[in-house]
Amino acid sequence: MQQDLRALWFPVASSGDLPLRHVYQGQLLGLEFAVWRADDGAVNVWENRCLHRGVRLSIGLNLGSELKCQYHGWRYANGDASCLYIPAHPANAPARTIRNRVYRSVERYGLIWSAIEPLAEPPVIPELETAEPLALRPMPVAAPASRVVEALRSYAARLGAEAVEPAAEVPPAGAFALRASWRRDGEVEAAAFFVQPTAARACVIRGLLLGDVAEAERVATLKAHNAALTALREEAEAADAREPDAAAAVEEAKIPLSPRVTTVAGGERAASGEAIRVRVARKWRVAADVVALRLEPISGALPPPAPGAHVDLHLPNGLVRQYSLTNGPAERDAYVVAVKREPQSRGGSAAVHDAVREGDLLAVSPPHDNFRLARGGGRHVLLAGGIGVTPLLAMAKALAATGRSFELHLFARSEEHAPFADDLGGLGASVQMHTGLDPTATGDCISAILADRADDAYVYVCGPAPMIEAAVARAEQAGWPDSAVHFEHFGNAKAVDDSTAFEVALARSAITVAIPAGRTITDVLREHGVSVPTSCEQGACGTCITTVLEGKPDHQDVFLSKAERASDACMTPCISRSLTPRLVLDL
Amino acid sequence: MLILHDYELSSEAYAARLMLGFLGLAHESRPVDVYPGAANEAPAFRRLSPLGRVPVLEDGGLALWDWQAILIHLAATYDESRRWLPQDPARAGAIAQWMAVGRELEDSSGLARRHLAMFVDADLPLAQERAHRLMRQMDEHLWFQEQAGQDWLVDGPHPTLADLAPFPAVMLSEEGGVDRRDYPAIRRWSERFRRTPGFVTMSGVFPAAPLG
Repeated sequence: MQQDLRALWFPVASSGDLPLRHVYQGQLLGLEFAVWRADDGAVNVWENRCLHRGVRLSIGLNLGSELKCQYHGWRYANGDASCLYIPAHPANAPARTIRNRVYRSVERYGLIWSAIEPLAEPPVIPELETAEPLALRPMPVAAPASRVVEALRSYAARLGAEAVEPAAEVPPAGAFALRASWRRDGEVEAAAFFVQPTAARACVIRGLLLGDVAEAERVATLKAHNAALTALREEAEAADAREPDAAAAVEEAKIPLSPRVTTVAGGERAASGEAIRVRVARKWRVAADVVALRLEPISGALPPPAPGAHVDLHLPNGLVRQYSLTNGPAERDAYVVAVKREPQSRGGSAAVHDAVREGDLLAVSPPHDNFRLARGGGRHVLLAGGIGVTPLLAMAKALAATGRSFELHLFARSEEHAPFADDLGGLGASVQMHTGLDPTATGDCISAILADRADDAYVYVCGPAPMIEAAVARAEQAGWPDSAVHFEHFGNAKAVDDSTAFEVALARSAITVAIPAGRTITDVLREHGVSVPTSCEQGACGTCITTVLEGKPDHQDVFLSKAERASDACMTPCISRSLTPRLVLDL
Repeated sequence: MLILHDYELSSEAYAARLMLGFLGLAHESRPVDVYPGAANEAPAFRRLSPLGRVPVLEDGGLALWDWQAILIHLAATYDESRRWLPQDPARAGAIAQWMAVGRELEDSSGLARRHLAMFVDADLPLAQERAHRLMRQMDEHLWFQEQAGQDWLVDGPHPTLADLAPFPAVMLSEEGGVDRRDYPAIRRWSERFRRTPGFVTMSGVFPAAPLG
C-alpha cells in the first residue's frame, strides 16, 4: 500500500536529546529539522535552514527564547519562528512575513513527535499512557525503514528470549511501529519500536521499554537492548548493501512551497488570514462587567502569540472584533481573551456577554503582533487602564518567565473593576494597583512612576484613549524619548476625514491606482488584487502598516508614534490618506 | 616564551591552540603557509619538523612536531591542577585510548577534509567510512556516559585530553563530508566541551550558547 508518509506522525527526537540551550539536528523523509526546547519548556520543530542564507539552524545558538543563526545573527522567536532581529538593520523591526517554517510537534512518551503535513492528531497509545516507558538508545540505520521494521519482527529471538506473541503493529501509530514481547526469567517484558524514516534509505529505531526497570538494572538493560539493536543494524545494513531493495526505499518529501515566499504583497494575509475554528471551553467573569473566554482549537495547534498580540474574533452575529490575548509564553493550548461590556456597544461586547456560551464554536484569526515588547531592556514599565491590562498581562508573564525586570501598574475604578486579579496576584510585587483615581490624580501618579528614567527602560500603555494620551504626554514631560514609549488603543475614536482623492503607486507591484473620496486605500487595492493584511481597519492596531517611499501621508490613525508620524516613512493605509496628489508605497 | 608554528586551518594546530587557551598560556604564533604555499615542506622548516608537520611547539630548547606530543607536554608542564592529564592508573589507559581515536579521526575525517579543501590525495569514501565507524562508537560511548551521569569520554568532573584530542576532527568533519546528524550524543558532548572556560574557536567551529 502506498501511504503518504508526509501525513503520518513519527518520533523525530527523544526528550533527552534536548538538554538546556541545545539545538538537535533532526531528519524526517529527507527534510532536516532544527529541534530545540525553549527555557519555558516548549519544543520547536523547524525547517533546518535560516531564511537569510540557508545556513543550518542546528549549528545556531539556542538563547532560551530565541534561536540565533551563526552566520549573520538573524534571530527567530520561540513558537512561531518569526524573525525578531536582523543585526544588519538594528533600527528596523523585521517584516512580519519573515518567518521560518514550523512543523507541528508534540512531546509524548519521552519522544518528540512531528509530521510534515499531518492529516490527523498525533497518536495516543493507551499502553504508553499509563506506563512510564524507558527510552532505549536511538539506533540510526543506513537501510530503508520497511526493511528495518521486518527485521524487528524477530526482536525477541535477537534478544535471546522466547517471544510471547508475534510482534504486532501498534495502533494507531501505523506500519512503522511494532510491539514486541518476550519472556525472560519467567517474566513477560515488552517494548514498542517506532521506526523513523529519515531519508529514502535510512531510518532511526526509537524503542520504548514497557514496564518498570529497577534503577540498579537500568544501564545493564539499556546496554543489552543496544547490543541487540546494533546487531540488527549491522545485519540490515549488510543485507541492504548486498541486495538493495529498490521498492523498500521511502519516498522523500519535498519542502512544501510557502505562499508567503511565492507572493509578495498580501501573501501574509493569504497565509495567515485563514480563520481558526475554536470552541469556547470556558466563559467566566474576571471583573465587574468583564468576562474572559478560553478558546481551544477544534483540531491542531494554535499559532503561538507574541506577548501583546491580538486576534480578530468572529462573533456569532457576524461582527469581527479585535481582542488582546492574555496568554503567557507557556500557555499554548488555548487563547484567552477578556471583553468588557461597553454601554455604547456597537454589538461586539454585547454579543460576547449575552450570546456567546460555553461550547459555542467561533473563529479567530492568527495573532497579529503589532504591540511588541522591546528587545532586552533593563526596566519595563507597563501602564494599564482597566480592561487595557489584557496585552500587558501577556507581556508581564513573558517578562516574568525570562526573569526580566518589570512593573505593572493597573489603574481601575475599584478592586472590583480590576480584571484577572488571580493572574496578577501570581506576579507578586511587580504588580501595583491604583484604584479610584480621577484623571488628574492618574496623570500625577504616572508622572511619579516615570520620574526616574534610564536609557534601557521602556513604557507600554494600554487603556482608554484619554489615559494613553495622558501617559504619552507625561512621559514626554519626564524626558522619555518617543521610541521608548509604546501604546495600544482599543480603537480609533477620532473623526475620519475621507474627503480627499489622490493616486497611489505601488513600487513593487508596478501599478498605480486612483483612490476616490469615501474609499480607503486598502479597499481599492484589494479590488486590484493587492491585499494588504488588515485587522481593525480603523487605524488602531497597526496590522496594515506600510512603508511610504514618496509623498506625504495624511495620518488619521492612533497607532503611530509622533516620531513615526513626522518621518512620513510609514502609514496605516486602512484609514490614512494622502496630503500629496501621489503616494508611492512599498507594496 | 612558547612559540607555536601554526596554520590557521589545521585541525591539529587547533588542538594545540585549544590547550594553550584552556591553560591560559601566552605564546607567540608564527604562521606557516601550509596551503597553498607548502612552506612546511621547505628545508628551513624541516630542520624544525623533520616530517614537515604542523604544528610545532618550541619551549626553551625543546621543539615538538607531533600535535599529541604537544598536548601532553603542555598538560604535563603547565597544568598544575592535573585536570587535563590525570595521573591515576584507572584513567590513564582510557585517556590514551581516546587520544588514539583522535589520531585516527585526523587520519580519516581530517584526511577527507584535507582532500576536499586542500586537494591532498585520499580515498575519500574509505576515509569517510572509517570516520563514521569511529564516530558511531564514540556516540554510543558518550550516550552511555550520559546515562551514568558522566559528561566526558573518560569519567570525571572535567574534560581531559581524551576529549580534546578528538574534538577538532569531530567539529570539522562536515568539511570532509562526514555528517554528524546520526551522532546526537557527540553533538551534545561537543557543546559541553565548547562551554569549558578558556575555549577558543577557529574557522568552522562556533561557540556554544551560554547557559544563563
